[in-house]
Amino acid sequence: MMWRDIKLAIRTMRSAKWRSLMTMTGIILGIVSVVTTLSLGEGIKRQVLKQVASQGSDLITVRPGNFLQRNQDGQISGISGVEKLRFPAGSLSDQDLELINGAPGIGEIAPILSLDSGVSYDGQAYQGGTLIATSNNFLEVIGKSMAHGTFFETRDRDRRVAVIGRTVAEELFKENVPIGRSIEIRGKEYVVKGVVDDFPAPLLGLTPDYNRTVFIPYSLGQQLDSGRLLAMVLVRPSASSSSSELIKTLSDRLFQAHGNQADFTVLGQDENLRIIDVIVDLFSSFIAGVAALSLLIGGIGIMNIMTVLVGERTREIGIRKAIGATNRQIASQFFAEALLLSLVGGLLGIGLAGIVNLSLLALTHLQPVITWQMLALAGGVSLGIGIVFGLAPAIRAARKDPIESLRYE
Amino acid sequence: MALLELKEISKIYGFGDATTIALDEVDLSVDKGEFVAVMGPSGSGKSSLMNMIGLLDRPTHGTYQLGGRSVARLRPNQRAKVRRDRVGFVFQSFNLLPKITALENVALPLMYKGVGTTRRLKHASAILGQVGLADKEYFFPKQLSGGQMQRVAIARALVNNPDIIIAGEPTGNLDSESSRLVMELLGEIHALGHTILLVTHNPELTRYVTRVVYMHDGQIVYDEQTAIGEVPKLARRASLLLQRRTAEDDYAGVSALMGIDNEKPKKTKRTKRRTARRKPVRAHKQARKIKR
Ligand SMILES: Nc1ncnc2c1ncn2[C@@H]1O[C@H](COP(=O)(O)OP(=O)(O)OP(=O)(O)O)[C@@H](O)[C@H]1O
Ligand SMILES: [Mg+2]
Repeated sequence: MMWRDIKLAIRTMRSAKWRSLMTMTGIILGIVSVVTTLSLGEGIKRQVLKQVASQGSDLITVRPGNFLQRNQDGQISGISGVEKLRFPAGSLSDQDLELINGAPGIGEIAPILSLDSGVSYDGQAYQGGTLIATSNNFLEVIGKSMAHGTFFETRDRDRRVAVIGRTVAEELFKENVPIGRSIEIRGKEYVVKGVVDDFPAPLLGLTPDYNRTVFIPYSLGQQLDSGRLLAMVLVRPSASSSSSELIKTLSDRLFQAHGNQADFTVLGQDENLRIIDVIVDLFSSFIAGVAALSLLIGGIGIMNIMTVLVGERTREIGIRKAIGATNRQIASQFFAEALLLSLVGGLLGIGLAGIVNLSLLALTHLQPVITWQMLALAGGVSLGIGIVFGLAPAIRAARKDPIESLRYE
Repeated sequence: MALLELKEISKIYGFGDATTIALDEVDLSVDKGEFVAVMGPSGSGKSSLMNMIGLLDRPTHGTYQLGGRSVARLRPNQRAKVRRDRVGFVFQSFNLLPKITALENVALPLMYKGVGTTRRLKHASAILGQVGLADKEYFFPKQLSGGQMQRVAIARALVNNPDIIIAGEPTGNLDSESSRLVMELLGEIHALGHTILLVTHNPELTRYVTRVVYMHDGQIVYDEQTAIGEVPKLARRASLLLQRRTAEDDYAGVSALMGIDNEKPKKTKRTKRRTARRKPVRAHKQARKIKR
């Protein structure tokens, strides 16, 4: 194939813009879904890394429900039932909390009691937020600081005080520093003591959206919720211990306490990456299937149109052959057209994926990231489609009999 | 040595009952500088012969030497290259590419030869000037008259300086004035030393040629030299025959020709053999009729 074939193909494409665009839709959509999926996955992985970096890699979470398996050394050996994150089977009770607290190597511990919200301000219910009761050291454990005011302290034990996330401040009070104002929780007034600094966006339901959370002291939460089933316990190892050691100790102890039943999950912060990987891969492979189908349809679309074009242009082929075009020259002319269609389709797909990405960044809390590897992949895939699906029509064109083609009307 | 030399060239289409002998052991040799008109009733094999000579097709049997090179058995790609370098085609329906300009149409054969854009456009421009269309370079075919399109096509046929130009009824779609212009142009090109083969049904056009070949049933049944400016009697006569279209008329026409053959001094050498093989040819013709 030569440069002149490409120039000719550009000319042909220009003279039939609309048809070319229609032909390229499959490729465009395929590339958009591939690039968007990959960039979402990449974005999520980077968010997790950021979270790990901000919260320190030795944070350990203990949750009800079991969704991973560990081998003898305490390494994750398998992940199954990620859906149990949302519908935990199993529970963590106050006894478990005691047990965790008493384990050797514990540095700090913060229980998280998730309550059915019922938060309102000025007679208006706060929708979509979370109400969490936790201990005073929550911020130290999770490695955060306050934006305004202070977190609750020991002397707030039985006072009706609350600390809120950034988004709550904005959504409920429509101001940044609503300190001293009071909200109503289940008919009782709670005074806002402070606003917590921004948390990274929550990841696929693995953590609550702390920015939309109202925090109250643990003891008050216990009074509100008689069941006292813990949503999660956050733990940090002591200076003399390590997070992997502690994970193993906690796992073993809870396993025994639960009657040799692994209905809980102990997870190190950096292990979040593994889980996110699995979830992202699961979700990517589904979209990848859809994208592959769309690319296949796109390729067939190109082959289809090229075959029609070759038919329509039979006479042109006859003329070119009569004046001395070789089969190879005819083939490369049509091959160049197919390649151009798929490559331009790929480029438009990349462009559209860029727009989709910007919209996702602007309109959602997702933070997709497009890397050059994705662009190379998209380019390679479109080139491949052009080659695979452009070859047959090009060969068909080349094989046409010149005499019959010249007679074609 | 003749420029082109065909020996016992046959072209047989189909097989079994549907066999058609389009060319029946045709011998023909054409020297450089000849302007040959090929005439004959419809279905007599004129186009088949031109396709063979122009290397658009391969003969079923026989040998063909073009400029001393044996070309009858070439592969399609080699034939394409011989067409590109040695043959120029002019068609009844012009066959210009509609989406490119006159200039680009003329330059196209050079593109397939690998000549660079600037050089080929320059050359094409000179040739377009020669056919009197210097001011139409950037016109698209649809912006040209029939006669102009045909002149562009002639320029395209000339651009590679071919050994032979094959013109298949080049005036078939033109009015008489444009026809005259096109024929005069071909005459001029011939005068420059080019070899031209012209297929025509119009005996008037034999005025421009130096030789008339008359075909029937896939054979050359008559072949005569003629002076430029003259319409040979036979061609005139043939035109009368052409107007009748039934098979009987065709046979009658052949008989008439045979009659004339006897009077004329120049006579095809192979009359006897031809009569001897007439039978199978008729059998094929019969088969063809039944098919229809
Ligand atoms: N592709 C083909 N398949 C089968 N038969 C063919 C084919 N091409 C030509 N023929 C037959 O070969 C014979 C010669 O055809 P050809 O086209 O050479 O005639 P012609 O002299 O050019 O006629 P016309 O003056 O009508 O153009 C005809 O009987 C025709 O039916
Ligand atoms: Mg014909």
